[in-house]
Amino acid sequence: SAAARRPWKLFGAMCLLRLPRITQPLEKEEEEMAALMGQIELEKSHYSDHEIRKLEEEERLKRRKESLYDEDEAPGKTVVMAQDLEDKWEQKFLQFKAAPRITDADKSNDRTSLNRKLDSNLMLLVKQKIGTQELWLLPQVEWQPGETLRSTAERAMATVLGDHIQAKVLGNAPYGIYKYKFPRAIRTEDNMGAKVFFFKAFLQSKDLSQAELKADYLWVTKKELGDYLKLEYLKKVNRFLLD
Amino acid sequence: GALLGCHRSYRSRPTHGIGKFKYLLPKEAPKKRKDKVQMKEINAGTEYVYGDVNIQMTSYDLCLVEHFAQYVHKLCNRLSIRVNESYAMPTKTNEVLFLEERGSKMQLDAVLTTHQRVVQISGLSSTFAPILLEIIQSNQPEGVHLLVKQHTEADFKSRLKSRPELEELLAQMS
Repeated sequence: SAAARRPWKLFGAMCLLRLPRITQPLEKEEEEMAALMGQIELEKSHYSDHEIRKLEEEERLKRRKESLYDEDEAPGKTVVMAQDLEDKWEQKFLQFKAAPRITDADKSNDRTSLNRKLDSNLMLLVKQKIGTQELWLLPQVEWQPGETLRSTAERAMATVLGDHIQAKVLGNAPYGIYKYKFPRAIRTEDNMGAKVFFFKAFLQSKDLSQAELKADYLWVTKKELGDYLKLEYLKKVNRFLLD
Repeated sequence: GALLGCHRSYRSRPTHGIGKFKYLLPKEAPKKRKDKVQMKEINAGTEYVYGDVNIQMTSYDLCLVEHFAQYVHKLCNRLSIRVNESYAMPTKTNEVLFLEERGSKMQLDAVLTTHQRVVQISGLSSTFAPILLEIIQSNQPEGVHLLVKQHTEADFKSRLKSRPELEELLAQMS
């Protein structure tokens, strides 16, 4: 029957992504290739200014040691030798300490912190009550007529995390859709089931210390999604996730 | 004996000039020096098609930035997005001086060069734009800043050099 009011309920869900902060470690072949290319480049390249200066100074030192005449080397000047510069730079480099790639949160496998898995995308999962069950899913909120789906999704994000998150939604088009019918007990003529539209947003701010409200949230990678989501839902969600 | 059978298209032979074709093509007007190209496409409406979009990549490391620009260019070719131009902005050299005061004032110098590459794209549909942005963002190498913005006249003018003598003469005339 061609009814003007469709019997589907509409939901907008937001998939909040935290982009990776470090590049992923290279595969074995990639590392070998990189080493080979580096060596080829080194052998093909010319000397830089600093290296030419260093070689000249080494020659000068050698000549001074062998024969004791000075040959107007301008001995009055305190010349900073290239070797000294190199030593200074080496020392500075040794003092520098890089931040660890595998953080504490990784070791303790604390899935609620944002500092885990710095080299992959992290997604926000929330436990919400649908009908009678409590399920893990991407935060979703029902669509109200007169509102665009994108603002529904942004509202979903705001209800879970509070208003002060800096997340950027890139486009107005949804990334995926999940359709399900209600179980026969609740199904009526007007309420066949629900359609959930997924949107993607990228987290801009580094940490969310002020924002976390309701409990039961997790930040998971794509591989760990399988532990929490139901199969059908997972299939549709995996379709729009890049790794 | 085999060489005698070779008929070169020499000037005395009737086959001289057999491969020429340029006389068949339409005549091109000689190119003028002034390139004042300003193209702006439809931006509003239900059919969202962006006009010229500039993807600017800046970094201190030259090889990284160049390779990344090449990668973005090839990606757009593969996805059949029209690439108008792919150019480099002039490099900026910064001298970093450390003034350490530990009794004797030392000045350690470091010379940093900032390189910038721009890839200009047109004909990007709004349904595809977020996907492209996400791909480029997730494939960004370390140390490269990415900036995607629409092409404006100011961007176009920043590539041209200012001519102080010409401006002086114009000011004198008017």
